Amino acid sequence: MASTQLTDEELFLELKRFGFTPGPVTENTRPVYLKKLKKLREEQQQRGLRPGKTRTIGAINSTTGGGSTVASRPVSHDVTHLNTSRRPGRKSSLLGFSSDESDAETPLKRKGLGHSGRANRSSSSQQQPKIRPASTPSVAIKSRYDHSATPSSNFSLGQNGERRVSLGWGVGDRSRSDAGLRRYDDSGDEDNYEEDMEKKSRSLNGRGASRLNASKLAGDYSDSDEEEVSGLGVGDPECDRLEPRRNHPSVALSSDVTDRGSATDGQNTEATPRRFLNMGGSQGEDEEEDDLKRRDFSRLGDSRSHTLPRKPIYGSLTENHKGYTGKNSPATGEDGASRSNSTELRPRFSTYSGLSQTYRRNHSNHTPAPNHSCGHAALKRNVSAPEDELLQQFKREELASSGSFSAHYLSMFLLTAACLFFVLLGLMYLRMRGSGALEVDNVINSPPPEFDTPNKDVIQKLLLSLHDHLAFVAGQHDCGDPNHPNRSVSIDEASVYLLAQNKSFKGLINESLDWIIQKGQDVGIRLMGAVPDEPVTKVSEIARLESTHPKMSFTCRFRRAFFTIINRVLLIAVVAGCVWSVVCYVKYRWRRDETETRQMYDMVERIIDVMKTHGEACQENQDLQPYLPIPHVRDSLVQPQDRSKMKKIWERAVSFLSANESRIRTETQRIGGADFLVWRWIQPSLNCDKGSSKVWQGKAFPLDRRNSPPNSLTPCLKIRNMFDPVMEVGENWDLAIREAILEKCSDNDGIVHIAVDKTSREGCVYVKCLSAEYSGKAFKALHGSWFDGKLVTVKYLRLDRYHQRFPQAQGCSTPLKASGLATSVTNTTAHLQHHSSASSPGFS
Amino acid sequence: MSTTSQKHRDFVGEPMADKPVTALSGIGETLGKKLEENGFDKAYVVLGQFLLLRKDTEMFTDWLKDSIGANSRQASSCAQCLKEWCDAFL
Repeated sequence: MASTQLTDEELFLELKRFGFTPGPVTENTRPVYLKKLKKLREEQQQRGLRPGKTRTIGAINSTTGGGSTVASRPVSHDVTHLNTSRRPGRKSSLLGFSSDESDAETPLKRKGLGHSGRANRSSSSQQQPKIRPASTPSVAIKSRYDHSATPSSNFSLGQNGERRVSLGWGVGDRSRSDAGLRRYDDSGDEDNYEEDMEKKSRSLNGRGASRLNASKLAGDYSDSDEEEVSGLGVGDPECDRLEPRRNHPSVALSSDVTDRGSATDGQNTEATPRRFLNMGGSQGEDEEEDDLKRRDFSRLGDSRSHTLPRKPIYGSLTENHKGYTGKNSPATGEDGASRSNSTELRPRFSTYSGLSQTYRRNHSNHTPAPNHSCGHAALKRNVSAPEDELLQQFKREELASSGSFSAHYLSMFLLTAACLFFVLLGLMYLRMRGSGALEVDNVINSPPPEFDTPNKDVIQKLLLSLHDHLAFVAGQHDCGDPNHPNRSVSIDEASVYLLAQNKSFKGLINESLDWIIQKGQDVGIRLMGAVPDEPVTKVSEIARLESTHPKMSFTCRFRRAFFTIINRVLLIAVVAGCVWSVVCYVKYRWRRDETETRQMYDMVERIIDVMKTHGEACQENQDLQPYLPIPHVRDSLVQPQDRSKMKKIWERAVSFLSANESRIRTETQRIGGADFLVWRWIQPSLNCDKGSSKVWQGKAFPLDRRNSPPNSLTPCLKIRNMFDPVMEVGENWDLAIREAILEKCSDNDGIVHIAVDKTSREGCVYVKCLSAEYSGKAFKALHGSWFDGKLVTVKYLRLDRYHQRFPQAQGCSTPLKASGLATSVTNTTAHLQHHSSASSPGFS
Repeated sequence: MSTTSQKHRDFVGEPMADKPVTALSGIGETLGKKLEENGFDKAYVVLGQFLLLRKDTEMFTDWLKDSIGANSRQASSCAQCLKEWCDAFL
């Protein structure tokens, strides 16, 4: 990169081209801006190069492991050379894996664990040819350690183990206590590269052991994965740091060779979940793998450029860092790892293999690749979320939804069943009503024994048929059938009908009728004489027959019932509505009367105050007339637009005053040639309590750090002890309080909402400001001041609580200003005085 | 509200006048010496650097890490301290 040749101006312009406004480029800010420029350039390149990544990687894959090692060798030389010349950079690039952010280190450490573990799993279970070339780099590297050709699982193990170690080394550095890092930092000495490596290897050993312990617990592994995933999700700074860290290892391992390696890693991690899914099923996941790989590469590419800018910790070597990123630092990392790990790693590999076994077993708990760049975490999670987890979630959702479905249906079903039940019940009831004839039949069926037995049956039949006929007639009549205008049937018609039924009824009609009379019970037939409503005692008197149990068709009955119900319901509703409207009207009237009375009293008070002050003014100034014309008082107290509205109240006030106020006398005076009804203030001046003298009276104590928070915490304030609700008189004293606060903070134009809590015993006022600094200013102005003889205290409130209490304050954003025309009584009297004093010169 | 150290509060509470760099939150003995070696012997000089970087805490943090090897906790603490000082007094 030719960044070192950039002049200050060029650097400035380059940065501006990216839309970033830099400050002046001085000798101190130069490196920072160079770093920033590199970061911006990488980002830009990254966006452009992403599609090309896969192709290059594919080409790389073809090289052998040995080639890769060879390739890495010269690179490492360069790196060493560079390192000696730029030791801080070296340190940073090496430690670049391990930034000193101790917070993010532990998750990263675990991430590294997971990363390699996953790789273990995936590669161990996979025999794909695609993996082979990926593993060749590790194989090549391994070859240096005289690793015999073992099945791919071992390779992958080794590869993963080594990678993991190198990752861990990078990570471990980070995870090393800050003290250790600070040793590096604070020493300030540029360590030799070798020295660094030794240190790192030492630490690596120690770390490796600890990590082994940690990683042995596969459950831990998966838990830590999840933990770090959530940790990843938590904070952006963490994210940023994790991203570089995460990607740095992958970047570090991604020279031409390591690109592949990390890609494989990534892809392995990607593939792992898939693998596990398909464990039971097929293993043909070439396409998946391809996708994964491509995705990995793109991710890596992204992450690489993305992370690099953020990465550098000890980045006076920023340019080198960037320049060698792709090659040197990763290679050096790898080299260093390999060199230092050569001896120590071998015994570890066996443990790693054991670990991989356990990982394989615990595939279900494994959460995949979110470890890869945090910046792409979301993307990766979406992309690479293990399918089995997805499936699990899906099943859970389905279960939930189906459960909810069934619950929903169940409730609906129950509801409809209940409704149906009640409807059926009603219908059955209706039907029952109609079939009251049954009992009649029973009655008829038990004729008294005094009849002759042979005729009994005939009489029974006669009666029954007569009853039915009558019922039919009545029912038809009731249902509005025009064929039967009369509900009752004359006896002749009845006889005719009965004879038509059965000839044998002929002689028995009278007997049956007699029996009915004698029966006395209601057999469903009513016998009416010529005059209705007169009991019939003899057969001869019978003129008409009527049924008492009309038989109506079911629909007819239902209709009648329905209409009846509707009518009754409407009636009830109408009655209820009337009652409710009456109640509302009464309440309204009552409220209105109350307001009017209150206004009237308020007006009276204002008049009294006016008169009082006028009286005092007259005492001081003998030129003034000791009385005031009533219309003048009204016009000064009541705004012009309210005059017609307040007319009634004014009249009441005037009459109240004349009746109940002894200190004001109503008289007629001649002013300027016209007769006026005037008020004269009679009472000699008492020391009237300037009731509402709401003024600020100075500060009680200076505000310093002991009695106030040093910096304002929230934009909301609670002010205590501004008033005493019991003692307050008048209608608008809360407005006076508001005005007082605004006046006190008149220099602070950040107050957007004031709420006077009229009911609080403590006299609380709530204030919301635009921001914390405004509230801080208001705090300083108000806290510890005397107001109206009371010591005011202020404290900060939480914004969300404030919004809960006063939701209307959420929308306030315009600063409030103290209004000049306060409606306090004192001001009106002042106005009046001003008015009168102004008018007099005007007259003269 | 995030927790601030006593050092932070002490620095942000008043104008920095002639305070040494070790008065800055996050800057201890070692880092202070390194800053002095780099020519930043007083807190106001570090403030100058902060202002040169347009009060960008991220860049200032990077600068601190690069120039004196502060870790990110120290650097962000110092940046935050200066930022608040500027908010209060500038």
